[in-house]
Amino acid sequence: MTNAIEISNLSYRKNMRAILASINLSIGAGKIVGLLGENGAGKTTLMRLIAGVGKGYFGQIAIDGETGIAEKKAVVSFSEPLTGFPRNMRIDRIVSFFEDVYPDFSDKRYNELAGFLQIDEGLKLSQLSKGMREKLIIGLTLSRDAKVYLLDEPFSGIDSMSRKKIINSMIRWKPETATILVSDHYVSEIASILDEVVIIKDQTVFDQKSTEEIREKFGQSIEDYYEKAYEGRDSND
Amino acid sequence: MQFDDKVPIYYQIKEYIYRQIITGKLAPGDKMPSVRQLAVDLTVNVNTIQRALSELTAENLIEPKRGKGNFVTATDQQISELKEQLINEHLQQLYKNLRELNVSDEEILNDLGRYIDKQRDDQK
Repeated sequence: MTNAIEISNLSYRKNMRAILASINLSIGAGKIVGLLGENGAGKTTLMRLIAGVGKGYFGQIAIDGETGIAEKKAVVSFSEPLTGFPRNMRIDRIVSFFEDVYPDFSDKRYNELAGFLQIDEGLKLSQLSKGMREKLIIGLTLSRDAKVYLLDEPFSGIDSMSRKKIINSMIRWKPETATILVSDHYVSEIASILDEVVIIKDQTVFDQKSTEEIREKFGQSIEDYYEKAYEGRDSND
Repeated sequence: MQFDDKVPIYYQIKEYIYRQIITGKLAPGDKMPSVRQLAVDLTVNVNTIQRALSELTAENLIEPKRGKGNFVTATDQQISELKEQLINEHLQQLYKNLRELNVSDEEILNDLGRYIDKQRDDQK
């Protein structure tokens, strides 16, 4: 079976500085995988490169076996931060934009998700709270029928009810064979829904492990295991 | 449901279903909720539910019927064995904890009797 994500020898530099170096990563189809790392570790950069919106990297990224930019974009749904939309734009207009741009955007799925997440389409973008905005982003992202969903820090700074709703919609609406890669710097809130964790440290993939293996073999919580990866290093940086 | 993140989740799901079968919330012949529904109810991954269910199938407590879902097939004997096993685990823990406090066997029996009496009185 073709891996959902297959990355070999990926390196990325920005302003002469290495952001990502020698990344090799295989992620199987049908999984929910946590992408963990401190702020600034390169999680967002990695997601942008996988999504095909970041350019100028070395190495190869294949999504569901596809390596062409257009082919990849067609099967990857990336959680757009919606920063490109005017602040006074109404939500229903943003939804129509997504319908027009993505052929795999499903109205039916969106309506189900919007109902569940309680998204009020009459509001303007600027009127949304942080939690509402994240829920809208997740609703839009999961409404596409993609092979890979990339959710970039959907839980940072939001209330616990919104978090629960987002986690629930990931379980409910993930197509069986699709893969979700979700980044976070605080893992305990999503540990129970993850198949694997990928830890990014020192510009590269420091570790990749099955969550059940961490519990079974090491008797550790996912949070403890993750913190250990960062232990023994000066935390002043 | 709250999970202990140091213990494999599939294992805790199995324990949860054992308890449901023992208490009769899931009775022999009952249809189990769908895999996706269980995942949503327990806030866990679908793959983890599947692993727990396939072990329960191997233990002959449930049986998948093609296109119809999973059904509880536990026999009365299996249920009483499960219950006995769970009671033993609780007793073992209680006994160990009390012995660690240097409470003698006799004192444990007396204390337990007194405790039960008090519970009964409180309920009156």
